Amino acid sequence: MAYRHFEFIEKHAWLLGGLTALMVSLGGLAEITPLFIQAHRVAPPAGVRPYDALRLAGRDVYVREGCYLCHSQMIRALRFETERYGPYSTASESVYDRPFQWGSKRTGPDLARIGGKYSDDWHRLHLMDPRQVVAQSNMPGYPWLALALVDGKDLQARMRVLRTLGDPYSDADIRSAAKAVAGKTELDALIAYLQGLGLAGGTEPAGVAGTAAPAAGGPS
Amino acid sequence: MSNFWSWWVIALIVFNLVVTFSLFLWAPRAKVPTQPDGTTGHVWAHGVLREGMHRLPRWWIALSLAMFLAAFAYLALYPGFGNHAGLLRWTSRDQLERDVAANRARLAATLREFGGVPVETLAGDPGARAMGLVLFRDNCAACHGPDGHGNLLLGAPNLADDDWLYGGDGEAILTSILDGRHGVMPAWGAQFGEADIDSLAHYVLSLSGAPHDAAKALAGQALFGVCAACHGADGRGNPALGAPNLTDTIWLYGGDPETIRSSIRDGRGGVMPSWRARLGPERARVLAAYVYSLSRRSRPTVH
Repeated sequence: MAYRHFEFIEKHAWLLGGLTALMVSLGGLAEITPLFIQAHRVAPPAGVRPYDALRLAGRDVYVREGCYLCHSQMIRALRFETERYGPYSTASESVYDRPFQWGSKRTGPDLARIGGKYSDDWHRLHLMDPRQVVAQSNMPGYPWLALALVDGKDLQARMRVLRTLGDPYSDADIRSAAKAVAGKTELDALIAYLQGLGLAGGTEPAGVAGTAAPAAGGPS
Repeated sequence: MSNFWSWWVIALIVFNLVVTFSLFLWAPRAKVPTQPDGTTGHVWAHGVLREGMHRLPRWWIALSLAMFLAAFAYLALYPGFGNHAGLLRWTSRDQLERDVAANRARLAATLREFGGVPVETLAGDPGARAMGLVLFRDNCAACHGPDGHGNLLLGAPNLADDDWLYGGDGEAILTSILDGRHGVMPAWGAQFGEADIDSLAHYVLSLSGAPHDAAKALAGQALFGVCAACHGADGRGNPALGAPNLTDTIWLYGGDPETIRSSIRDGRGGVMPSWRARLGPERARVLAAYVYSLSRRSRPTVH
């Protein structure tokens, strides 16, 4: 390459722009494309199943209210994270999250393994008005969730959509969904969702820093 | 990563490094034709702006070379070059395990030392209390409050007073932490009418000397028999069952007439989760020592 080639590129803005774009995109092509194309190969670990009807409704409330803007759901493989939150998160735990809720910002704590850490009553008080249980909290209250009922018909439609995307819901699952959420408020649904977070995953490596995965079920 | 994608990544890295490194090697030697005035001849704004010609400074070349060398070394030592694992075989999981093991080793001696010590004695150790405080803030403060003063709305007891539902000796506190507690007050709404519940509430108020209606309290006393099974005939409670003492002024859910009526009518189910899986027995002991120290903080001596 002689200087005149270089000069030619420099004097032709579209060529210069195109070659710049090519070089800048190399990193993304190497980092993103393989995982993007191979995402379907991530298999759910044992115990991770599609959300049941109530938890699915709760997950949609979580997304609608923008909880992910302040709460991540991804425990990184760093000691000070596993000490506080439990075993680190794996991609396979999120196979039924569409979209995944890993988040990128923590104004509040990580919620990937919040399931079973507090009682349902605690969550109820906390979601209505966080100051009732954590005096210094700056999280907003969500009292309207207690006033809205979950729409069973709409939920069934959402489950059918998820099935076309590959989530293994059976006909019986979808049929019984409306009954499962009958009379439940969005607050009930969100609490059910939170209480299930992280219970199934986090089995490897067992008991990082003495904080084993919380026992399934949890209080109340 | 499959073989195809591994080669994809390798190809992109090689392409990138070949292009940029060749430019880096070529640029300082490139022959740039210059005009007699020392500029390249590129002009803007009708010749007002002309492009000068300077060699790249040495520090810039040295810095760029250092970065190339760092990139080559990184790709050799660490994962990144396709499926090449790197000469160091480094993974974030191994790193985490090493960090955890190192921290465990740092704490092992201390925790072993604390292991056999009775909770009451451990509460006198400033190091144990400091460690317990950290565990408390992370795990207990959500319900019991940052200072351990409890929360009436949850029925989370005040840990900084002298009143204990299940006993306040070190072992009882440790058991509460490790295995959790589930305090059950049955709902009496179906059995008693609203008038009886009101009478019972006034009798309960009278037990602690709170303002009450004497006639209703007398009527309530006659009904207190079923309550006495857990709370005792004198209403002083039973730590074996976690039945609260009704004769003091300490209330788990609140001591106003309406709250008491609600406790009788609808019952209560206070849940203290089990922390055995999350904390393990060693840390739970340190935590128990901290909790034990909370209720004795105001007193000059540890008994």
